[in-house]
Amino acid sequence: MSAPSSPEAPWPVRTVARKVADWIGRLGEVWVEGQVAQLSRRGNAATVFLTLRDPVADLSVPVTCHRDIADRPGLELTEGSRVIVRARPDYYVARGSFSLRATEIRAVGLGELLARIERIRQLLAAEGLFDAVRKRPLPFAPAVVGVITGRDSAAERDVLVTARRRWPAVRFAMHNCAVQGPQAAANVIDGLRRLDADATVEVIVVARGGGSVEDLLPFSDEGLVRAIAACRTPVVTAVGHETDTTLVDHVADVRAATPTDAAHRIVPEIGEQRRLVEGLRNRARHLVTARLEQQERWLESVRTRPVLASPDRLLHGRADDFAQLRTRSRRTVVHRVEGAERDLEHARARVTALSPAATLERGYAVVQRADGALVRDPAEVGDGERLRVRVSGGRLAVVVDREDGEP
Amino acid sequence: MSSTGQTDEPTTTYEQAREELADVVRRLEAGGLTLEESLALWERGEELAKLCQHWLDRARERLAAAAPDDADG
Repeated sequence: MSAPSSPEAPWPVRTVARKVADWIGRLGEVWVEGQVAQLSRRGNAATVFLTLRDPVADLSVPVTCHRDIADRPGLELTEGSRVIVRARPDYYVARGSFSLRATEIRAVGLGELLARIERIRQLLAAEGLFDAVRKRPLPFAPAVVGVITGRDSAAERDVLVTARRRWPAVRFAMHNCAVQGPQAAANVIDGLRRLDADATVEVIVVARGGGSVEDLLPFSDEGLVRAIAACRTPVVTAVGHETDTTLVDHVADVRAATPTDAAHRIVPEIGEQRRLVEGLRNRARHLVTARLEQQERWLESVRTRPVLASPDRLLHGRADDFAQLRTRSRRTVVHRVEGAERDLEHARARVTALSPAATLERGYAVVQRADGALVRDPAEVGDGERLRVRVSGGRLAVVVDREDGEP
Repeated sequence: MSSTGQTDEPTTTYEQAREELADVVRRLEAGGLTLEESLALWERGEELAKLCQHWLDRARERLAAAAPDDADG
């Protein structure tokens, strides 16, 4: 319809706008699914403005619709709602802006939401993100606990109060953010990245109180699940009530039933630990003491054994031996001496008995030659020979005189 | 083994002293020794008994030194 544009013959803005509007207008109707990021009703204006966000990619498109469509009974359109929109791409020439002109808005049903979550769950499970081998053990008593939760929420209070009561030394690195609505998943992901990058944070808790399936929807967000899987720091989730299961619960290293339960999981109970340590300490002391006492008794029993306790007994028997031997030897010697004395007595008696003394006493005499030989025959001696005569009173020397006696 | 008169406190453990002491007593009780031998053995036994006592006393002291000092149970 118009001639091609050139530097010499440029198109006016209206021509361009009309051409773009014509082209977009030919696109026809589409069905779009997304999440309501923003919703604005301006006073009693007939047109409602929405921002429809893609839950996975970071982009959105503006949507406009008539008030009657947005306020249709049963729809209950709010920010964060998942919706399916029937719309016609529209170019508003007055401002050069693009939007989708909605002719019908349907809320995504609960069953539909759950089915979608289930599909994501199966996808991620197939990737192995929920595998037990991926679960990391929690530190025993972390110095710093990262906490991602709504500001001043009951969940925050439950985690902080319970953890501090159990382990007073615990410190927290807080990340308060939206935990429902269209920004929740992205905010929580930001918090995870920030806390995971902090080397002092030893464990991260993601806590949120109970809510409707729609409220908890950000916690089944695929991006958030992947962010948790990518964390190097162990993550504990406590989202919703015990019966609510969100996908983050599957990927977390520990799933706590409630924020209070999470506090129980992340820090030990100090009193219990003290009692445990005290109990072990007492047992050790008793064992060592008993062992020591047993050894002391043993030593005492050894030291009181006669061989050690009274060494004089070692000598005792020996002294006896010695005394006995001494007595025996003395007795033997005495015995011998006495025997000798008796022998001597006998000999002396015999000598006395055999002695010529008694005979001499009676007046006999013994005559001996010079060499001591007894003279028994006068013929044995010569004349003038000197002889010795022994009488009882003593000896006397004589000379033989033949003339005096018979031959 | 019955080397007498040497101070081997730093190197002899309680268990070594105890074992040797038991052996000394056993030999003394078995008899058949010369007087000099039995006296030497007895002296060694005394020495070992003192050594054992020393170790046990030390153990007691260390136990007492490590006594619980915190007030709460």
